[in-house]
Amino acid sequence: MNQHQKGHLKIFFSYADSIGKTQAMLKAAQTARLQGIHVLVGYMAPHTSPDTLLLLEGLEQLPPLIMEGREEFDLDQALSRRPELILIDELAHSNGKGCRHRRRCQDIDELLKSGIDVYTTVLIGNIESLQDAVASITGITTWERIPDSVFDHADQVELIDIEPQELIQRLQETNTASSQITVEQLTALREIALRRCADRVRRLSEPLRRKNSFHTDEHILACLSSAPSNGTIIRTAARMARAFNSQFTALFVETPDFGVATAENKQRLRDNQRLAEQLGATIEIVYGEDVAYQIAEFARLSSVTKIVLGRSAVTRRHLFGKPSLTDRLLSYAPEVDIHIIPDQSAGRTYRPRRARIRSKYHILLNSLKSVGILSGATGLSLVFYHLGFTNANIIMVYILGVLLTSIAASHQIYSLISSVASVVVFNYLFTDPRFSLTAYEPGYPVTFVVMFLTAYITGTFALRYKKQAGQSAKLAYRTKILFDTDQLLSKAGSREEILNAAAAQIIKLLGRNMVIFEATDSTLSEPRLFSSDTSSPTAIQPPYDPEKELATAKWVLKNNHTAGATTDTLSDSQYLYLALRVRERVYGVVGIEARQNPLDASEYSILLSILSECALALENEKNAREKESAAILAEREQLRANLLRTISHDLRTPLTTISGNASNLISNSSGFDESTKQRLYSDIYNDSMWLIDLVENLLYATRIEEGRMQLQTTTELLSEIIDEALQHIRRKAAAHPLSVVYQDDMLLVKADAKLMVQVIVNIIDNAVKYTPPGASITITQAKSGDLAEIRIADTGRGIPDEEKARLFDMFYCGTNKIADNRRSLGLGLYLCKAIVEAHGGTIHVADNQPHGAVFCFTLPLEEVILHE
Amino acid sequence: MNKLQILVVEDDAPVRNLITTTLKAHDYRFIAAAAGEAAVMETASHNPDIILLDLGLPDMDGVDVITRIRSWSNVPIIVISARSEDSSKIDALDAGADDYLTKPFSVDELLARLRVTQRRLALIQSSNSQQAVFVNGQLRIDFASGCAYLNEEEMRLTPIEYKLLCLLAQNTGKVLTHKFITQNVWGSSWENDVASLRVFMATLRKKLEKAPGSPQYIQTHIGIGYRMLKIE
Repeated sequence: MNQHQKGHLKIFFSYADSIGKTQAMLKAAQTARLQGIHVLVGYMAPHTSPDTLLLLEGLEQLPPLIMEGREEFDLDQALSRRPELILIDELAHSNGKGCRHRRRCQDIDELLKSGIDVYTTVLIGNIESLQDAVASITGITTWERIPDSVFDHADQVELIDIEPQELIQRLQETNTASSQITVEQLTALREIALRRCADRVRRLSEPLRRKNSFHTDEHILACLSSAPSNGTIIRTAARMARAFNSQFTALFVETPDFGVATAENKQRLRDNQRLAEQLGATIEIVYGEDVAYQIAEFARLSSVTKIVLGRSAVTRRHLFGKPSLTDRLLSYAPEVDIHIIPDQSAGRTYRPRRARIRSKYHILLNSLKSVGILSGATGLSLVFYHLGFTNANIIMVYILGVLLTSIAASHQIYSLISSVASVVVFNYLFTDPRFSLTAYEPGYPVTFVVMFLTAYITGTFALRYKKQAGQSAKLAYRTKILFDTDQLLSKAGSREEILNAAAAQIIKLLGRNMVIFEATDSTLSEPRLFSSDTSSPTAIQPPYDPEKELATAKWVLKNNHTAGATTDTLSDSQYLYLALRVRERVYGVVGIEARQNPLDASEYSILLSILSECALALENEKNAREKESAAILAEREQLRANLLRTISHDLRTPLTTISGNASNLISNSSGFDESTKQRLYSDIYNDSMWLIDLVENLLYATRIEEGRMQLQTTTELLSEIIDEALQHIRRKAAAHPLSVVYQDDMLLVKADAKLMVQVIVNIIDNAVKYTPPGASITITQAKSGDLAEIRIADTGRGIPDEEKARLFDMFYCGTNKIADNRRSLGLGLYLCKAIVEAHGGTIHVADNQPHGAVFCFTLPLEEVILHE
Repeated sequence: MNKLQILVVEDDAPVRNLITTTLKAHDYRFIAAAAGEAAVMETASHNPDIILLDLGLPDMDGVDVITRIRSWSNVPIIVISARSEDSSKIDALDAGADDYLTKPFSVDELLARLRVTQRRLALIQSSNSQQAVFVNGQLRIDFASGCAYLNEEEMRLTPIEYKLLCLLAQNTGKVLTHKFITQNVWGSSWENDVASLRVFMATLRKKLEKAPGSPQYIQTHIGIGYRMLKIE
């Protein structure tokens, strides 16, 4: 079986229990077994029906895993047995604690990914988007559900269908508990099931359309909230999106109040968000106080055509209450269709409860602040009163006090109480009769009301302003982090730098410990831990259990799917693991400590942006590297082509002489006199020597160009190298007086001796070739600073300035006509330059006085500690 | 005339022909082998005086051939290597080879190496085991008193220089690798010892050679090591 081919999923689907989907599955399995397919029964709910037991006969059964007294499907066993086909009852089952995945459909997904075919059963009520419809018919809410995508993406769905009457009859016979169900109900369920299957088939017939492009211009927006009824809205919107074949977005507007929402509410929001994701929605989060405005603005910018709302958002709370969300939405975005969905809890409107996080200490502190400010205002007023200021001034002082209270305290209630208290105290202390709560002057009640309202309204505005400021600061901080991440990542060059930058930004954002695994060729590198404690960034956190955590990270890498803490997969890990990926390619796995406190929705979305940017940066880095190596390869190919062309051209000449002369000597050696023979012999010899030199240089040249010139450096005495080179060249340079000047003795250099000898030989060889006989050549070794300098001077004609620049290029041969009959390949000096530079030295050419050329190159000197 | 018998181990026929033709022209007796196994067999059965051994053999590594022959015989071995086998040349010397030739080599070079080895052979035969006094040209080393004389004048040598000189003298005619020398003189072969070796060798030569530019006694093999030549 092909490891990489995904297994096939076949779903046996029915609209009610007891129709016989399990039996149909077993029958199909028996057929497969008879065809010689290795069938394994992975999990089967305990059945007592004799028909079912009969069908199970002959099939290999996997013993269930016992987890805390519950029987569960043993995924690891199933994977290790590697059957060709596995049977697993009840796809929608939720696994117990201790299993790898929270849901069975995830188990099955893993089986499919490893190439195993799966048969399974699904009941209509298990399908996420049909859940509301089914519940409204049967009155039973199922908690075990599968995302629609699992159903839609199954390779085959077999609808097991019988007439409702027949089913009722069957139920009565077997006397099953749920026999209260009516034919009407069953018919309705059956219709939904048939329609759902038809819907799936229709969708399969246009697979291309489903991919990414949306052929309709529809864009459906569902608003996420932490309300329990929000699920219904999301499901309805998803159904609509599917029906219209349109884009589907779920939007959450984070208001300043959200920060103080209860943990329960936050959890529900996360669940709703996950639901929307499963139903194929893109999750978007915006920040703002005015929910309607934010939704309208988003709708306008993303060209949303339909907004789905729950009924609770429609009704006004009371006559004088604020206009409802819908009213405002209508006025902000009049061009958008608004669909209002009845939610289950209609009638009792849901209002997000605030968390009672304020402790007694908190209340005491705020109260003390309020009382303090009130007392201060009263004290000041008393002073004013005694100074004879008018009451208007005193009222202003109290309003100021309420304003200060709103700024200092964290809840509206304090400014309200403070406003009332101010009015009361003012009345008690400053209006006639003083020290009573009555006022003689008829205008005072109006003053009191105006004073209360002014104080309360200014206080409320101050508080709101404070909250907004806090929120925009938070928003700005997050935007800044994203922006910084972008900049840091674009600056980072290597993988190492990219990962470090991303880690630093994530820690800045979340303040949690984290871990990064790099992925290379589907294996994970050693984990790199990053501590949120910036004072000791490399400290290893104690709660990190590498064994268990690594397994989760590996799973993430293999399946390209988020797992670990707070998810449905391997949720007993301490960390939440996310893949660093660009589409299907996983570049690494990032783990975030999330066991104790889950990430909130906005943190999560920013985290995802950082991760995707990081993955993109990694991909770019990889592409750049590949491009670079491709360029080098191309350059090398070009060079090889050049080299071959030049060689094939230049080798022909000496080879022609060698083979020609040899063949003459073989065929008519008797016809030649002794001196002719001698000339032929020496021609052959000289040409072959020329070839030997050429091959030597070529060998070095290709080694340099292929970048595999590994210098085998040892500490060498420079004079030894020069002596060695002279021994090689002396015979050739017989016509040129050679002299060596050792200006400084005992110069030690770190060099590859062979290559250095070649450099000197090549330069002297050139001097010999391009200067007339008798021109002297002087080699000088000297110390200049911490460099050794070797000068090779000749007294030839010198080199014209315009040629000097190109002298060290590959295949450059000068226009010098003195060169003997044979052209040079133009490799020698190119090689010299490459070799000297590889040693960390420099080479250049200058004019000799009064005429001639000086080649000069340097090598770093080596210090040595003598071992006596 | 009892000329030396030479075993030529070379898998490439033209090169083998070149060598054997050269040997024949200079009155050497020879046997030829084309592979490592055959070389070992021929060495055991014919007991040649010198072996010319190509390192790139089809059946086994030349260095292994040396190791096997060295297990029972001290016959001088000259290795022949192509450029690409530079590092194995040093391995071969460390394994017990006496000298080396690099392809392409000239006929003159081959003959010169043979002569050097022949003299070494004569030296080994004349001086069985350790002698008290070593004489080579104008150089005389009295091992017993620990003194070296050049032109009957005592040389002023540091202890390391004297140690170096003795080591080279005891292996006259044989190429000693840097590694071999440093291990015998310093007991280790660190990078720094090789550098020290260069310096001491230069100072030793200054005291020994008349013209250090064209040495008479100690030959440099760049990248490989040093050798003391037998002066006739």
